[in-house]
Amino acid sequence: MPSPFRLGFDIGGTFTDFILVNSETGEVFLNKCLTTPDDPSEGVMAGLVPLLDEAGATGEAVDIAIHATTLITNALIERKGARTALLTTEGFRDVLEMGTEVRYDIYDLFLEKPTLLAPRSRRYEVAERLDRDGNELVPLDEEAVRALAPKLREDRVEALAIAFLHSFRNPAHEQRAAAILAEMLSDVSISLSSAVAPEIREYERMSTTVANAYVQPITRAYLETIEDRLKQMRYPRRLFLMISSGGIAGGQTAKDFPIRMLESGPTAGVLAGIHYGRQIDIGSLVTFDMGGTTAKIALIKNYEAAKSNTFEVGRVARFKKGSGLPVKLPMVELIEIGAGGGSIARVDQLGLLKVGPHSAGASPGPASYGAGGAEPTVTDANLVLGYYDPDFFLGGEMKLDADAARYALRQRLAEPLGMSVEDCARGIFEVVNQNMLAATKVHIAERGEDQRKFYLFAFGGAGPAHAYELARALQMRGVIVPSGAGATSAVGLVTAAVSFDFARSLLARLDRIEWAEVKQVFDEMAEEGLGVLEEAGVARDRPDVAVTHRMDLRHKGQGHEVTVVIPQEAFEAGSLEGISRLFYEAHREKYGHAHENLAVELVTCRTTVSAPAPDISLRPVAAEGREGDAVKGRRRAWFAEANGFVETLVYDRYRLRSGAAIEGPAIIEERECTVVAGPSGRIRIDEYGNLFIDIRPDAGAEQKEARDATAPA
Amino acid sequence: MDARRSDGARSADVGAQVSHIMKDQGQQSLDPITLQVQWSRLASIMDEVDVALVRTAFSTIVGETRDFAVIMLDREGRSVVQSQLSSPAFTCSLPSATRKMLAEFPAATLRPGDALITNDPWICHGHLPDFFVVVPIFVGGELAAFVATAAHISDIGGRLDEFDARDVYEEGLRIPPSKLYRAGRPNRQLFDIIESNVRYPRLVLGDVDAIVGAAGVGGTRLREFAGDYGTHAVTLVAAAIRDLSEAAMREAIGVIPDSVYEHEIDCDGYRNPTHLKARVEVTGDAIKVDYDGSSPERSDASVNCVLNVTHAHTLYALKCALVPELPNNEGLFRPISTVAPPGSIVNARFPAPVKTRSKTSYHIHNAIYGALAPVLPRQVQAGSGSFWSIKCDGTDDDGQPYAVHVLPNGGRGAVQGMDGGPTVAFPGNGTITPAEILENSAPIVVLERSLRPDSAGAGTWRGGCGQVIRLATRGGASVRMTIRPDKLRFPAPGIAGGGPGAPGELLLNGGPLALEPFVLRSGEVVTLKLPGGGGFGDPRRRDPASLCSDVASGIVSAGAAAEIYGAAGPAEKPPKDAA
Repeated sequence: MPSPFRLGFDIGGTFTDFILVNSETGEVFLNKCLTTPDDPSEGVMAGLVPLLDEAGATGEAVDIAIHATTLITNALIERKGARTALLTTEGFRDVLEMGTEVRYDIYDLFLEKPTLLAPRSRRYEVAERLDRDGNELVPLDEEAVRALAPKLREDRVEALAIAFLHSFRNPAHEQRAAAILAEMLSDVSISLSSAVAPEIREYERMSTTVANAYVQPITRAYLETIEDRLKQMRYPRRLFLMISSGGIAGGQTAKDFPIRMLESGPTAGVLAGIHYGRQIDIGSLVTFDMGGTTAKIALIKNYEAAKSNTFEVGRVARFKKGSGLPVKLPMVELIEIGAGGGSIARVDQLGLLKVGPHSAGASPGPASYGAGGAEPTVTDANLVLGYYDPDFFLGGEMKLDADAARYALRQRLAEPLGMSVEDCARGIFEVVNQNMLAATKVHIAERGEDQRKFYLFAFGGAGPAHAYELARALQMRGVIVPSGAGATSAVGLVTAAVSFDFARSLLARLDRIEWAEVKQVFDEMAEEGLGVLEEAGVARDRPDVAVTHRMDLRHKGQGHEVTVVIPQEAFEAGSLEGISRLFYEAHREKYGHAHENLAVELVTCRTTVSAPAPDISLRPVAAEGREGDAVKGRRRAWFAEANGFVETLVYDRYRLRSGAAIEGPAIIEERECTVVAGPSGRIRIDEYGNLFIDIRPDAGAEQKEARDATAPA
Repeated sequence: MDARRSDGARSADVGAQVSHIMKDQGQQSLDPITLQVQWSRLASIMDEVDVALVRTAFSTIVGETRDFAVIMLDREGRSVVQSQLSSPAFTCSLPSATRKMLAEFPAATLRPGDALITNDPWICHGHLPDFFVVVPIFVGGELAAFVATAAHISDIGGRLDEFDARDVYEEGLRIPPSKLYRAGRPNRQLFDIIESNVRYPRLVLGDVDAIVGAAGVGGTRLREFAGDYGTHAVTLVAAAIRDLSEAAMREAIGVIPDSVYEHEIDCDGYRNPTHLKARVEVTGDAIKVDYDGSSPERSDASVNCVLNVTHAHTLYALKCALVPELPNNEGLFRPISTVAPPGSIVNARFPAPVKTRSKTSYHIHNAIYGALAPVLPRQVQAGSGSFWSIKCDGTDDDGQPYAVHVLPNGGRGAVQGMDGGPTVAFPGNGTITPAEILENSAPIVVLERSLRPDSAGAGTWRGGCGQVIRLATRGGASVRMTIRPDKLRFPAPGIAGGGPGAPGELLLNGGPLALEPFVLRSGEVVTLKLPGGGGFGDPRRRDPASLCSDVASGIVSAGAAAEIYGAAGPAEKPPKDAA
């Protein structure tokens, strides 16, 4: 029996999304059902059975099943992981608690810190020591390691993290300690810092390894349950997982390094951006996923997602950098902003209008949900501004109460500020947009990029309503709302490639190290990567397997590194001098200067091993089936450029055909979201059903004129 | 604990006040929304400047330890916004320093591409390594604002020791207000002078270039801002920000009963201890802090503090206590004045030695919080262990000079309702250099970095633990070290009945170590025991469960639990009503 289907399912906090794609025909089937937190596999079954039925397929017809989940993130946030212990080099067990010593808020005398995953009473030390080059200074005290086993047992430890100093240069001590303990404590899962996060800086490496250990037992159990369920559905192959660095990996890799599945759902959304980008030949995108409580921004350049190697989980002060547990992993870089449809607007201490980061969430939700929410939110403002149709929210499944929205705005904002309800609604829209664009701008600056070269790729429930304003203010090239914006993350699952990222620190001056030593580090990572690919069913000798090497380099003495891609020729030439030149060029490109008189220092080697992305062309989700006039109505909507309300046509996205072109202002409704385009926007639907908003470059000037015209004398 | 946060009713009142202020100024176009949007955009511009500086800086002290601030000032030199992570004390001294520089180089004479610099302690931040760089930003040929940066650079020449200078001349190169760039062209002479007078010119000049480059990013963004909102938008927003902030600060002060609140503390100083006396006078909606009664300035120790640093630390302590959530700007400072007798240790006169003024300035908040504790117990914090400084230098295997600066912290002071955090920076905000980075930067082996048991000041809420650091050299290497400890004699004070943190200890091979540069030789071990934070409230009222947990984790010994906290014994649970 042929097995043409690719299955993706993404277990989110509220919903589980499904996608089934016939890779031969490009036919797409979607489903969505409520997540079942107690046993998420229940929800998977509930959604999968009808989906397969709809496609007329059985489990056997599925070639590959790919999964993303919030389980890991949630377990860390809700502290639902295993009882975890930490073993460190003698003298260093408290590093986990001491952290970076910096305060994330410089004025708060009541600064809260995140609860540790391994409290002091479960942190152990053992005599051993390596120097900075990985040479042994003190041998591992194996007797002491053995003596630990009964203590760990007595302490009912379920997971153990081992993090020794400089282990990224030489994992021997960690491996030996693990081997001894694994033999004595067969039911304790053990994570090694040299395997989980072999990068320099002991605190971050330790924190990452402890987080990995903490989620390992539950992830293992969870994945086995899901695998069993899929077997019941007669899916004959193994389960694949979306990982944080934007590839997919086999189940065993996910069980060994569960922390690498952090943010797998949002990451899939970014990958969808790459997929659509390839379809339409646009390689530079900023993805913008705005939901109920947060907005997530990521950068795609030349069809590659920008990656970072630091992340924080479980921030105690929402969205404040430094208030969470640091995790050092290759990840698709997602900037999270406390801005969503549910974000609450309020008058602050200074009498100014603030929006977020507090959110009304799904319950009670925005005032207009009529579920008891008394606080005005972004959704309420969007309703007052005419962007949403109260009778067509979630495709009409839910009615919005416009009076409740106006009431909340009047009570909480308009009266105290002495302004009109409409002005307050406009204020919420502008303030939340400003929050998002400030974060986007700073992020793009950190990357040394120019946002004007990018398209904004918008999805999520609220993204398409805010994208136009964001793109206009940032002077971006335009907005793309993919077809089927409600299932964007799921699309990323079925279109992603098998791929894995490795990082290993090696601190050395390029003019003082032998190429052989550097090459060995890269070769080891490549070898490990080919193993991960094999585990995922990709033969290591396939000609289309790509191995990409990068180096984090800096001027000696500088505190921050620039990641430089080492082209194949340069790698084969093995010229460290040539690589130094690549660094100077990259530095100059990013910062406008380079200091060629200074030596170049290597900090971390990075390797990505990947199979090509599957070659599938998805049929448009949106433009199917329905006939008739696409205009479904008209209403007054507020636009900054007009500095007021403008009569605006409302379109049904499902009736907009490829080739359609509309002048802004316009509102385009689909089931899961509403696209808003202002007067300077020009909308077109491409041959794949994607919606483009092109923005006239003089859009900014026009707004100023409008403002000046209405400004008080 | 959250009583100090504003409630809805109060916000509404302030809202009315806002429209009042705005109408007063005839600025109807700056409604609360426009102001919020523009203010937030200006703040994000400074965050971009911050990012640019961190990413291009050369020294670890700027790039990693973040000992700098970047702020935007209006064209009169009054502060408007800063980057979110700016080092707080700098943000208080940058505006007055900018105005002093403008007195030398009047705004009307500045041209695009100019950059001003000085490190004069009496203008800037009280010691020579702090460079202040001010870059005028022009919009359409007209001066619109300044981007000013304060950064602690890696070296400024002068003596290697921390305390023994007899005057500021011994402490290194002093640069009077000067033009670092003229219309985009570097002042070569000045660069050469700096290069010839500092030990690590690469790091110092690398950082200076990064500062000027980052300010340029701010200029570009400000011109975009002006393009969107008008040439004078910055000036209008700046005025509104200042007025609103001032009103909020006055309101917070107005709640405190009019009176004079006093407190005196002692701190280590150098040869002689330092006495600090703060007299906090609240009159209506204004505060005057008078330090009369504090020690005289020292001629034999570099622990003198100039008045602008004293003022900066006074403002910082009061902002944290009164309006922690408000963005920092000069409006907050208007209702607060600082007075100290000239020639006192908190108002040192030129040319007093000042290099290690943090031995004085970092204690100022303790005098203020001690004074305010009886009237604002929920808004003050016990003393913190704060930072020590470890400088290592020498020549590496390549024959290249290296210099590494590590700033570890003691424990933080407790507040009502919350224990102090372990090893947290306060009132500064530096990060610790990881052992693995330190070992890669100098021939050093870190033997230990751990929490120091029984160092936390006892209290209903205890202080944070200090730390123990032990260092040796790698192989046969020798490393020149300068260690500057604090709170060896006078520990971090407790508050409201809480006990002090443990004092610090500094040992070489187990014996005492004099506070001067020394060479750590192969086989020797230097041990730093950093002080703990002070406790808050009577230790005998500590929650028994928290005490048990401290004993179980080894943070508090069983002996201390019994003796200081009055626990009957580690095995026996204290009576329930102890809390």
